[in-house]
Amino acid sequence: MSKSYDADKETFMGAPRNKIPWWPTIDYNKCNFCMECDKFCPHDVYAKTDNEKQPLIVKNQYNCVVFCRACAKTCAPDALTFPEKSKISKLIKELRSQ
Amino acid sequence: MNPLATKILCILPCNGLDKSLGVIAREVSLKVIEKKSDVQLICPVLLNNGDEKYETLIQTAKIIIINGCMTRCPTKLIEERNLKPFRQIMIPDMSKKYKVKPTKDLILNEENIKLAELVADEIIADLNKSDQEKDNAIREFQEQEFFDITVDKYYFTVPKDGYFFNENDCWIKPEGNTALLGITDYLQNAAADILFVDLPELGSEIEQFDDVGSFESSKTVLQLISPGSGKIFAVNKSLEQNPEYCNQDPYRKGWFAEIELKNFEEDKELLMNGLEYFDCMKKKIMKKKNHLDQIKSENDV
Repeated sequence: MSKSYDADKETFMGAPRNKIPWWPTIDYNKCNFCMECDKFCPHDVYAKTDNEKQPLIVKNQYNCVVFCRACAKTCAPDALTFPEKSKISKLIKELRSQ
Repeated sequence: MNPLATKILCILPCNGLDKSLGVIAREVSLKVIEKKSDVQLICPVLLNNGDEKYETLIQTAKIIIINGCMTRCPTKLIEERNLKPFRQIMIPDMSKKYKVKPTKDLILNEENIKLAELVADEIIADLNKSDQEKDNAIREFQEQEFFDITVDKYYFTVPKDGYFFNENDCWIKPEGNTALLGITDYLQNAAADILFVDLPELGSEIEQFDDVGSFESSKTVLQLISPGSGKIFAVNKSLEQNPEYCNQDPYRKGWFAEIELKNFEEDKELLMNGLEYFDCMKKKIMKKKNHLDQIKSENDV
């Protein structure tokens, strides 16, 4: 069973999770579809598809643990990127003050 | 109190003043005590005569031996007493290493004095590095009170005071301008038996929420996401030999790194105190438990 959190109710550091754009972006020009990131991530962020051009996608983006980049370390072709941490922490502070 | 916490550093040189190698060894020792005032000099002649003060001192001290030649008189003095030196220096080895030939005269030339300076600097650098890589033996922690909860067969704790937490289940314990970093009991429970740790580089600058190290268990690889920003100035090298400290004592012996804080007041805006984190942790535990219970009931059906 795939674990998918209810992003409307989830919060991170007091800010709504669905307002925090933290998840990996796959560079399909670099990705060799080894699926190591999918095998590694315990939060079911990734999913395999039948699409030949994009057999791997980020499916449950809000499952991604904010500030976690552990999957990127498993990526040999360095195809995964994350947002800038400083921008995200600034955004979280703004969201908390609203 | 751990006796190692008060270990005195001593330097025991060769006193063979009939050879230039011995004179260099003596010069090295004098330069070390000149540059590092907490190192005490031991006279080998007096020690050999059974001086009571030295006999007592060397029983508990960290001893650095400077051997002038292969006769290794200072080493023998220590071995006779069934003790082990902290470090041994051989001047002939150092002479080769720094490509400086010992003079034939007993009055040292400029080059030999320079050699003594280089060897002394090397010893001091090692001692300073050793200070930075403080291991658990010399780090002391005060008694701590904990919030705790037991769920099924798992027991989770959170220190009540002195620690701050991020939602990535990592802690920071500020002490003046520095702070220790580590992982929480919740994270070590999630990881299960930790088998390997990857510690950060000394001197590296980190921002809040940077990953500053990772740890590997039979189940997974997890990261320590730093609750604070600053510069790494010490790491817990003992975790490389004893990664199980992270499981057994995550808030004390399992500390990962120590940083010089950059702006903790600002970092604190995105951190929780002990009680706040305890509530956050309980929610995580219950959510995980409910999820597992749900899977179990679906499988039972």
